[in-house]
Amino acid sequence: MTIREAADALRAHRVSASDLTASALTRIERLNPASNAFLSVTVDRARERARQADAELANGRDRGPLHGIPIALKDIMHMRGIPTTGGSKLNAGLVPESDATVVERLESAGAVIVGKTNLHEFAYGITSANPHFGAVRNPWDAERSPGGSSGGSGAAVAAGLIYGALGTDTGGSIRIPAAFCGVVGLKPTYGRVSRHGVLPLAWSLDHVGPLARSVRDAALMFNAIAGFDPRDETSSRHPTVDFVPDEDCSIRGLRIGFPENFYFEHLDSSVESAVRGAIARAASLGAVIRPIRVPDMDALNTIGRMVQIAEASAALEPYMDRRESIGADVVALLDQGRLIAATDYIQAQRLRRQFQRDFERLWTEVDCLIAPTTPMTAPRIGETSVRLGGSDHEVRLAATRLVRGVNVLGIPALSLPCGLSGSGMPIGLQIIGAAMQEALILRVGAALEDSGVGIPPCPEE
Amino acid sequence: MKDWCAIARASGFKIPAEELPRVVFTLETLDAAFRPLAERLTPEMEPALLFRAEEESE
Repeated sequence: MTIREAADALRAHRVSASDLTASALTRIERLNPASNAFLSVTVDRARERARQADAELANGRDRGPLHGIPIALKDIMHMRGIPTTGGSKLNAGLVPESDATVVERLESAGAVIVGKTNLHEFAYGITSANPHFGAVRNPWDAERSPGGSSGGSGAAVAAGLIYGALGTDTGGSIRIPAAFCGVVGLKPTYGRVSRHGVLPLAWSLDHVGPLARSVRDAALMFNAIAGFDPRDETSSRHPTVDFVPDEDCSIRGLRIGFPENFYFEHLDSSVESAVRGAIARAASLGAVIRPIRVPDMDALNTIGRMVQIAEASAALEPYMDRRESIGADVVALLDQGRLIAATDYIQAQRLRRQFQRDFERLWTEVDCLIAPTTPMTAPRIGETSVRLGGSDHEVRLAATRLVRGVNVLGIPALSLPCGLSGSGMPIGLQIIGAAMQEALILRVGAALEDSGVGIPPCPEE
Repeated sequence: MKDWCAIARASGFKIPAEELPRVVFTLETLDAAFRPLAERLTPEMEPALLFRAEEESE
């Protein structure tokens, strides 16, 4: 069931918010020992919130489509009185006294937060094989990674433990788990969603966004969390709209860019075939497919890595006196960031501005781009290299190659499932738009979804 | 090319010797890709850094 279906069932009195929450808690209790998607479950608070939601509906107070819907948070977001681990035991004792803005907004929209999800240590990696709390398992194949760093959020949504979850995306950390787990993930425009109360990884690259079972569900969650927040210095005052696409939304005449370079290089053949199929479907819906050359995305990835390692090492510097308690992959990245020159960080930020201008020109030719989210499907847990296009690639760099550039530019991207590989693993495509064009990319995603682009629900063991 | 091992030793960060190869290899490849890009920069290109002289008021 999607959020919209659950919301309809609530209003038709076929279920109550307490029923939905009890069902979510039961599924978490049953399935979480195997999936390891949740780090904490807020049973009492969730039950109480659900009771309140039912009482409000009975008294005629309807907070909207998220009213009474069980939702989860990546455990990097503060929730008053509940520990925030950030995926590290070094945060033991961190019990926030106030909620993150996104938590306030979800609860104000009536959502019932049932717990906090597992993640890659410090949100700094793409496997969610957490050295402190154990690896998150992909619900499509427990031997495979769910991606990361929001791996618990992706796995929990895919396994039907909850209806939606929040994640964060610094170099692909919403879209990679969305693609690997076969769910929808939205990385909004930088500044659209407040980062207040969310542990930072790299301030100028961090984004908060939803993972959900459908495009319209992601849009519903985005409606609740988007908008200016004076407590986040980078928050945008750009006006928000209703981001949920109409039932009969059309993409006729929309100019969709089909990248001729970069995005379709070094791909698994099943990924290429599925994404090309979705682009053909967009054409059949009346979109104008325009082949287009994109700016140098390899260069943009280099710039993004330079910015990220510098900012992350600064953000996580307080932990480095306990480096023996940090996983080897993360501590290596933190050492790298501490060794680069301040001038190189500044040069990277100057190059970033140049690429932003290059992309602004691209948006005069097309309204959005469609490309694969990741070049491959979910790797096996512990796998460090993957063979793509006849050569071996490091899993971390391969998984982030097609998604990182969007973080550097701060522009929005929506990942949605578009097929299954021969081994039955989900494949994701991403729709990339200009800054503040979330409504447009959600409309394209919904039109594709309505036309049958997607995958069946994750089979339960 | 930068001598990353020397930079690491001089940094005082106490990076264990056995962990240095992993750190240095990535920095070498990143720096090799980054250096030509940085050389493209012209003086009028400003960084994408955020600073406001006035605090936002609630």
